Amino acid sequence: MGELDATYSAFAAANGLETLPALAAGPLTPLLVEAGSGQLAPAARGKLPGGVEGTVGQLAYRRNKTFRFNVALVEVAVSTAFAPRLFCIRRGRHTRDDEFYGFEARDSKLWTESTALNERYKVSTSPFQDPNWLRQLFSPALVDWLARVPPADFSFELAYGALLGSVERDDPDAAALTALCEATAHVAERIRSECEE
Amino acid sequence: MQINRTGIGLIAFFGLFGLAIAIAPFLVSMPIEAKGTLVLLGGIWALVALGLGLFARRQQHKAAHQDWVFQNGIRGSATVVKAKSSGTINEMPLMRMVLDLDVPGLADRQVKRREVMSVFAARRIEPGLTLPVCVNPEDQNDFVLVW
Repeated sequence: MGELDATYSAFAAANGLETLPALAAGPLTPLLVEAGSGQLAPAARGKLPGGVEGTVGQLAYRRNKTFRFNVALVEVAVSTAFAPRLFCIRRGRHTRDDEFYGFEARDSKLWTESTALNERYKVSTSPFQDPNWLRQLFSPALVDWLARVPPADFSFELAYGALLGSVERDDPDAAALTALCEATAHVAERIRSECEE
Repeated sequence: MQINRTGIGLIAFFGLFGLAIAIAPFLVSMPIEAKGTLVLLGGIWALVALGLGLFARRQQHKAAHQDWVFQNGIRGSATVVKAKSSGTINEMPLMRMVLDLDVPGLADRQVKRREVMSVFAARRIEPGLTLPVCVNPEDQNDFVLVW
């Protein structure tokens, strides 16, 4: 068993999760699309630290070079009607090394209102997003939390109800996986509560 | 579609180098055949840049128009009747759809629509799915499909 498998097994055992050798999450979000079928290996699923049901695993793929992310995937189905697409990506993150295409689907626009948020993240949404709802979601409390609390390499993608939190570490320890899950759970709960208001 | 940084770089590259290659033969002495080849090559590059630039500008105008329709259009819904991918553009599926439009104040009707979508969005498009639409109040054939 490799070191990464051992870390995930220990993490799963400590948190009462089911260990999986691999799981094809599917192309649910842009980062998972980069990996084709969105295969997570190793992976663990169940009630993640932070209190939400989901899956945590390592996503690895090649686009000229190998990219590795550790991700936590949870469902926030109710969000589809309010924010079909919302991406909050750490500034400077690269997910491919072979970008040759000059045109892309017009699927987002920059949403720039908070300096604290924009210093750390690039936030984009559907071009047809209700801006008022977005302002309510990104309350001062959430903006402050995003700027201070999550791991430094944390990003999240919300696409049609699938929320994927991710960090860029190759070989995370249990504490890093816990921090990833807790950050993703916090975002999921914030989105869910805003949808239900 | 919208231009990205790679696209701007491509336009700059082909435009600047194309012009340089096309103009340089007139500034230095070289055989007439070589001059002709370089002018032709540079001209093609410059035309590629011009074409990309015009396409980008057209897409910007289209985006601005879509924003206007989204802000001022009549809200309704579109139910997917048929959907299939008929190829890809820059790794993104080109979706062909048949939609049932239900817009308040307008007669229900079925329309065909083509959209270039992100992969994660395209996988959701299947018969039965209902998506919001905004219809141009001045032209009911002009609508934005919110996906």
